[in-house]
Amino acid sequence: MGMHADVIAAVSEEDRLRANVYRFLAQHLLRAPDQSALKKSVKIMGDDTELGEAFSAFAKLAANTNADQASEEYEALFIGLGRGELVPFASYYLTGFLNEKPLAKLRSRMRQLGIARTEGVAEPEDHVGSLMEIMAGLIMGEYGEPASVKDQFSFFDSYIAPWVRHFFSDLEGAKNSRLYQPVGTIGRLLMDIESTAFAME
Amino acid sequence: MMSKKIKDEQKFTSDRRDFLKLAGIGVVASGATVATGSTQAEEVKGSGYSLTEHVKTYYELAKF
Repeated sequence: MGMHADVIAAVSEEDRLRANVYRFLAQHLLRAPDQSALKKSVKIMGDDTELGEAFSAFAKLAANTNADQASEEYEALFIGLGRGELVPFASYYLTGFLNEKPLAKLRSRMRQLGIARTEGVAEPEDHVGSLMEIMAGLIMGEYGEPASVKDQFSFFDSYIAPWVRHFFSDLEGAKNSRLYQPVGTIGRLLMDIESTAFAME
Repeated sequence: MMSKKIKDEQKFTSDRRDFLKLAGIGVVASGATVATGSTQAEEVKGSGYSLTEHVKTYYELAKF
């Protein structure tokens, strides 16, 4: 952890927890969980909040899913034969096409923030998993100082709020969603929690 | 002396914190294994997005 430990210590407990939920979503949206990730997820214990229940549901499903099944489900949902059931990109949700203006706007904002796509990453930056990861990074200060709540809100409001809740709701109801059904629920609930919390600032 | 504005801001901040705590975001922490713990820093580096000048680790995302 090295010097990053200082930054982590400066981030408040509830912000770290928010970042964890964003990270959980990013990890599952960018790729299917492998056997070791599934094994870890079995240990998640949800509390009796709605979000907690969705995490418990995910843990239960993770216990009954192997890596091949997770990978098949992921492909049916997001990759498919030529096209998965869902197309998890901002540009597609907002314009009906990939690589349109919403992607260009996001790229320009990422340049301002000093965030670059790691070499070898193939998909466009407006993938929902990337946006979840950027939020986690902003909260935890992985791109420099932890972003102020105002700056977090600005990013959320511009690039996430316009479509991501809709996406998670689609994921919850997708016909290929089994393990990913509670992932959709967790995402939808996080979006609602974030919108409400940002409005309190 | 604390201005009213600062007091109000602090109140909002604490409302927000209380709200977030009640909303159940702590649940992953109690599970503690998915995204927290000592492996987190490594996972962060291994993910697809990083500070431009800090790009050290090249992560192979699942090839589509």
